[in-house]
Amino acid sequence: MAEYENLRELKTISYKRPTIKKGYANQFLCIDISDLDISFKQVTEEIKSTFVGGKGFDLWLLWNAVKKTTKWNDPENAICIASGPMGGTPTFPGSGKSIVATISPTTESVMDSNVGGYFGPYLKFSGFDALEIKGKSSKDVLIFIDGIDQKIQIFEAVELSEESYDLSAILTEQFGKGKPRNISVVSTGPGAKHTLIGCLNFTWYDSKRKRVRYKQAGRGGIGSVFADKGIKAIVARWDDVTLSSNNPADVDLIKDVGKKYSREIVELDPKQNEMSRIGTTHLVTIMNDYDLLPTKNFQYGRHPEAANVGAEVYRRIFDKGYDGCWMGCTVACAHGVKDFVPLTGPYKGKKVFVDGPEYETIAGCGSNIGIFDPFTVVEINFYCDAYGLDTISVGTSIAFVMECFERGLINESNTEGMDLSFGNRMNALELLHQMAGGEGFGTIVGQGIRKMKTIFARDYGADADILRDIGMESKGLEFSEYMTKESLAQQGGYGLALKGPQHDEAWLIFLDMVHNFMPTFEQKAEALHWFPMLRTWFGLCGLCKLPWNDIVPEDNKDTPEPAKVMKHVQWYTDYFSAVTGKQKAPDDLIHMSETVYNFQRIFNLKMGFGRREHDTIPYRAVGPVTVVEYESRQDRYDKQLAEKHKIDIAGKGTDEKLKLLRKFREEQYEKLKDAVYKRRGWTNDGIPTINTVKRLNIDFPEVLEVLKENGIQ
Amino acid sequence: MIKIKEKSIQWREGMTVADLLKDLDDPQHYAVVKINDKYISRPDFKKTMIPDNSEIFLIPMIAGG
Repeated sequence: MAEYENLRELKTISYKRPTIKKGYANQFLCIDISDLDISFKQVTEEIKSTFVGGKGFDLWLLWNAVKKTTKWNDPENAICIASGPMGGTPTFPGSGKSIVATISPTTESVMDSNVGGYFGPYLKFSGFDALEIKGKSSKDVLIFIDGIDQKIQIFEAVELSEESYDLSAILTEQFGKGKPRNISVVSTGPGAKHTLIGCLNFTWYDSKRKRVRYKQAGRGGIGSVFADKGIKAIVARWDDVTLSSNNPADVDLIKDVGKKYSREIVELDPKQNEMSRIGTTHLVTIMNDYDLLPTKNFQYGRHPEAANVGAEVYRRIFDKGYDGCWMGCTVACAHGVKDFVPLTGPYKGKKVFVDGPEYETIAGCGSNIGIFDPFTVVEINFYCDAYGLDTISVGTSIAFVMECFERGLINESNTEGMDLSFGNRMNALELLHQMAGGEGFGTIVGQGIRKMKTIFARDYGADADILRDIGMESKGLEFSEYMTKESLAQQGGYGLALKGPQHDEAWLIFLDMVHNFMPTFEQKAEALHWFPMLRTWFGLCGLCKLPWNDIVPEDNKDTPEPAKVMKHVQWYTDYFSAVTGKQKAPDDLIHMSETVYNFQRIFNLKMGFGRREHDTIPYRAVGPVTVVEYESRQDRYDKQLAEKHKIDIAGKGTDEKLKLLRKFREEQYEKLKDAVYKRRGWTNDGIPTINTVKRLNIDFPEVLEVLKENGIQ
Repeated sequence: MIKIKEKSIQWREGMTVADLLKDLDDPQHYAVVKINDKYISRPDFKKTMIPDNSEIFLIPMIAGG
């Protein structure tokens, strides 16, 4: 009888688990599923000092795996998953992140996405700082990394559930051997197989609720690469985790800093954003108040019904209890809805537990598609996770489709009879089910906005110029859910982000627009250097960035640069030194990130991107595209034209003012690029200079070769 | 009375969030305050009355994302 139900063993190897030393296992696990090859690679001191861990390790593995001609669905494309040196420290807030990287199906370049859950730490404690999976399998395969029994197994999966929701629960029970907390599963669902915007679900076991919980590595279609390779799931098994599991250089210092940090969060979070009670849902009404909540495909920033999908509603809907996606994290923001009963789809009428929604999902799958019913948002959230679809790309893509439908750029003959007007919640759900099944109009929407723009113009005769202005993607990635029209700095935060418009690199809207802390181009450029670098650093170390600035010390406002929350940056510096034994200062964190950041920019260049032209954003992100949008904020725009640009607007119609404003705003964005490239040590075409790569010690021959091919010597 | 930062402050009829911040003479540019469980943003500070016996939290709104 087979050891596991629905699994047929294809290969098993035993290995000797290395001792973790100062946060590192010092080896990578590399699996090629084409020929079931399993190998280990040593992590040298040079690799550690250059790439640190996490995303840095992923990028190094991926760089060596792919050629410049590699496409997302080629066997040599790799999916890389890593924790980081601090990953897996229990009770230190936010220390359980995994970072995933691959060549994306929608951007065709490097994609990275960070995610909670236990997988990254369990992988490391099993003996591997990072996992690289290459190849493709004609059968569905499951990879089992068993750190306790020290073996790696590859199985053929036969008739296992398609949906992540059931699949992860089944695998946790099977592999847990009575200890489900020892298991973390990475999987996706049918939506990933049938679209290019698939996500990965990473699990942890919620011992109090006795159920498997999920977080998502959502961005850029990593789940679609996973499904295309024929990977059904990856399972990691590990035992108890303690402060000593990382064998840190100074465990007492970690205890000291971790205790201070946790206590501060417990004391201040209830007085500030209440992450441990309502997650990120507090942002909904605040964004709405400031005219920043994306509404109807980013046309508007507010809606009278926004409070219906805000914190006061979800406060009542969320199941009460501890919701940390990492052990002992006091931010504990991963809330969920218990006993939710979907109205549609395969789980119709059944009680399910929904992990979420967070702000991004509410804005993307709620306000941005004209839906203000909190339960419809919960249902979309549930099916996106179960089907393995990214809620942000789903929301932003449907928003684009709905605006196209309302403008007559597409019609019911294209949507196979569906009315896709804003707010049509049943058809939004139907579209989601179609994406998962690879059916109907859903197959087109699931390609993402960049490909939809081509299809709508080529096949449906839609105006390509309008599609370009209102299709909210850049580099091929759909925008996450913040309005940037009135914040030039955040336009850069999205447009100059390495992988595309995701807010994990920079979130400067309040500093720029509300507080006006950075009025000059140079100040914006400085912010677009420092903040992306610090935020990148969390992804190198296996950490979540939320504890850094979502809860701030009470005396932070009296510090010279409150936006940087330097007290916490010092704590993180101490934490890094305490784990690795390498004594660092706060500025060193920025330097570590700069190295990896510039390497990733050059990686984009290797793949045929990474120049100024690729940092373009749609005009909808910069200013009002239509007369109606202009007139919705006419006072603001008229004032800008008159006072900032010295235009006599008397007697001018909205059309004319719209064109003038566009000219000025597009010029400002280009000037911002100039300033940021200069600050980052890049050429005016957005390419790191030889001096920059030498300063950062990434002047490897293959890096210099890529630069040379692009005219930089 | 209203409670803010562990201190009690005399409440008065018609007191708005903007009035309170002026009274506090706090140089921090708060973008959001929380009155009991309700978040109030700066555009609404002048028109939002503070009920008596409220607990107020000043939110240093610099995060997000």
